[in-house]
Amino acid sequence: MTAAGPAGSAEQQAQLSLSTSAARNLATTTKSTPQMQGISSRWLLRLLPWVQATGGTYRVNRRLSFTVGDGRVTFTNTGTDVRVIPPELAELAPLRGFSDEQALAALADRFVQQEYAAGDVIAEAGQPVEQVFLLAHGKVNKLGSSKYGETSVLDVLANGAHFGAEALTDSPGTWQHTMKATTSCTVLALRRQAFQEMREVETIREHIRSGATGGRARNEHGEAEISVAAGHSGEPALAGTFVDYELSPREYELSVAQTVLQVHTRVADLYNHPMDQTEQQLKLTIEALRERQENEMVNNPQFGLLHNADMQQRINTRSGPPSPDDMDDLLATVWKDPGFFLAHPRTISAFGQECSRRGVYPQAVDVGGHQVPSWRGVPIFPCDKIGVDENRTSSVLLMRTGEQNRGVVGLHQTGIPDEYEPGLSVRFMGINEQAIIQYLVSTYYSAAILVPDAVGVLENVELGVQS
Amino acid sequence: MTLGTNAEPAEEQQRSLQTTAARNLATTTKSAPHMQGISSRWLLRMLPWVETTAGSYRLNRRLSFALGDGVVTFATAGSRMEVIPQELRELPGMREFDDEAALEALAGRFVQREFAPGEVIAEAGQPVEQVVLLAHGKVNKLGTGPHGGRPVLDVLADGAHFGGELLTGEPSTWGYGLTAVTACTVLTLDRQSFQELREAERVREHARRAAQQPRQAANKRGEKEIGVSSGHSGEPAIAHTFVDYEPAPREFELSVAQSVVQVHTRVADFYSRPMDQTEHQIRLTVEALRERQEHEMLNNPDFGLLHNVAPQQRIQARSGAPTPQDLDELVSRRRRTRLLLAHPKAIAAFGRECNRRGIYPDSVEVEGTPVLAWRGIPMLPCDKVPVDEHGTTRILAMRTGERDEGVVGLHQTGIPDEYQEGLNVRFMGIGDNALVSYLVSTYYSVAVLVPDALGVLDNVETGR
Repeated sequence: MTAAGPAGSAEQQAQLSLSTSAARNLATTTKSTPQMQGISSRWLLRLLPWVQATGGTYRVNRRLSFTVGDGRVTFTNTGTDVRVIPPELAELAPLRGFSDEQALAALADRFVQQEYAAGDVIAEAGQPVEQVFLLAHGKVNKLGSSKYGETSVLDVLANGAHFGAEALTDSPGTWQHTMKATTSCTVLALRRQAFQEMREVETIREHIRSGATGGRARNEHGEAEISVAAGHSGEPALAGTFVDYELSPREYELSVAQTVLQVHTRVADLYNHPMDQTEQQLKLTIEALRERQENEMVNNPQFGLLHNADMQQRINTRSGPPSPDDMDDLLATVWKDPGFFLAHPRTISAFGQECSRRGVYPQAVDVGGHQVPSWRGVPIFPCDKIGVDENRTSSVLLMRTGEQNRGVVGLHQTGIPDEYEPGLSVRFMGINEQAIIQYLVSTYYSAAILVPDAVGVLENVELGVQS
Repeated sequence: MTLGTNAEPAEEQQRSLQTTAARNLATTTKSAPHMQGISSRWLLRMLPWVETTAGSYRLNRRLSFALGDGVVTFATAGSRMEVIPQELRELPGMREFDDEAALEALAGRFVQREFAPGEVIAEAGQPVEQVVLLAHGKVNKLGTGPHGGRPVLDVLADGAHFGGELLTGEPSTWGYGLTAVTACTVLTLDRQSFQELREAERVREHARRAAQQPRQAANKRGEKEIGVSSGHSGEPAIAHTFVDYEPAPREFELSVAQSVVQVHTRVADFYSRPMDQTEHQIRLTVEALRERQEHEMLNNPDFGLLHNVAPQQRIQARSGAPTPQDLDELVSRRRRTRLLLAHPKAIAAFGRECNRRGIYPDSVEVEGTPVLAWRGIPMLPCDKVPVDEHGTTRILAMRTGERDEGVVGLHQTGIPDEYQEGLNVRFMGIGDNALVSYLVSTYYSVAVLVPDALGVLDNVETGR
């Protein structure tokens, strides 16, 4: 047998058998189903326990609670000029519930912008409180002294934090902690004297005084107290008690993601072998809807987890990149049965780098056959829906899940008409004059945080920091 | 394709029923009432519970003689610190000294001194010239190694005392050195001012008598010796012995946490669908009671674990933050440490110390929850361990179970109208104002069977 020589040796050899290109005309090509890149693992949707919300609304009943913590203040800036939005001043503890717009606007005008360099001391422990500070931009360390006189960082404050609100009260006292800038900081400050010179000072004072008195007994979480007697002997009279509920509990309405899928009748009728065209169209549309659903569950301003996390449950990174220390601090916020972390894949990689730098090698854990990175045994799942903003900062979520554990639950309603998947329906809308069949694809969902300490957020995680 | 959630333009008229209107016809799904105050309550979950019939538990132990020296307490007035005179009885040889006037005179002679970190308070081998009471600060107790090194024997903190042998009047030398680790406030009494004291003779007399008392034969833990002969040959008389018990063993009476839940009959009668109002009122009250129970089991001044740690089982964090060394030291003090209990902040602080050293302790799964572990011992979070205003807290280590002579929880089951183990809900009656009252009570206590079952790492700092 003589094998066909290299092309160069023989003159254009005549074709002796059927070429593949010709043969292809007789064969049926094997085709893949249409693929798309936009599909992610959607761990959040897979991991959340779903609660049936019949009637389209889910009411979260909680014990009556009184706000204990402080919210954050928001600012507007024009160029380098920063100004506090007047109604936001009601976030300051003494001004809670104060609604005199004029007085607040006047108060906002009195704030003076100050700049501090990294390392500057903004307030010194033991000094009298003379100013209210609003931190517009930057990070500030709250320093305390340990029992044996060494200084230690108790907390890190960032954008929107405020301190020294006692300066507005009649007896401001002294600073309990030293406040030290760790980055360059833009701060709005209001001197006690400037406050006292205001015309509206009396109305504000009045409000502060009325707020300072009274109030029902509450526990450390701000919930109305259940009076319990313990460790007593003899026959003391026991106080009667009851568990008070919140009067207007939050209701979560199921949100919707919808689209109208159009297929031409000619396509749907004729081109159906071997794959059903309508079905494939539907499959990809549903994937897109589910992606959108996950995005909304993280980012929706009404019920998204990032926006709904309690202010007390948000912490800042100490240095910027997500270090193991920050993750330990985050675990301390959701210490009751933490379920899982959720972070952008880049954040996970930045965290891995920080671990390697310290020589720490966290073990991976097995979740349903997948090897997932973990920290202290709590798995870290990737989720690209957690935004990375233009400054390359992101967040890390930690949550406890399940209705039993008072954690986070997903809400949906099954058993809806024309249901295609749980909580997702495909409804035939009709055929129009252009012979296009229309299907309405809708999915209904929401997410509820049953008690505030079920979710913790590590904020201001910087990615790509040179180290 | 409209994928947005945006509302339709305002000017467009609504052409069908709105969801807000539709909601009025639909039944909202309601969650059961939730509360934040519920914690994992690991202590209650991990402790083995011992059935206590008839409400009290007598803890019988071998007869033991007090060995250790307790801790001296101080009164603070501004920056001045004074020792409380009665507390001087904690000094060796001063136990059972009942002359109050002499104690007061003695306390008045102590002089306050300050030491900076690193300063030497006492040098090994030098004659003891003063009694030292450590009012505030941490001190390293240094030995002398066989090859001249200075090993740290122990770290002592607030309330420790040294050089009490001076009170006998006999000359002696320091067996160890003392160096200040942090800024220390110390009260000292030197030999001369002691001798000038009018009551000195009486004190010396008492201390000398105590020192000369024949030592009872006891093992190293202070328990009365069980005579055993071994390794003998020939026919010596073999030791006769018996095991002596404490004549007045401690009895633990079950403590109680109680609450009276009131529900208006109108609420209970009418508003009970789909959820039973009374049931949820009681459920949440029970949760509050259980939280309180855990709090009491740690903090009750009588039986609470934090108040029942033997002085020998109390160790100090060497550098402040909870380091792996500290935990090794804590764990080494007992066999079979089952669990460590710490405030979540202390656990985070320990995590940081591990990260700094490049150590990744494995986590273990306890009842399905992954928790940080050190040397395989789970470190369970508990927010009932107090953290003071300086961020200082404590870490507990314990062995559990009656068989291992560890820590046990005490309760009594089978009580009337029992609702959960050791907890009952009793109907009290309906008042004139139509309030139905239920008495919810839980009975509990906790006992440390032998002192070394429970240890504590003290002065743990959570800030950095």
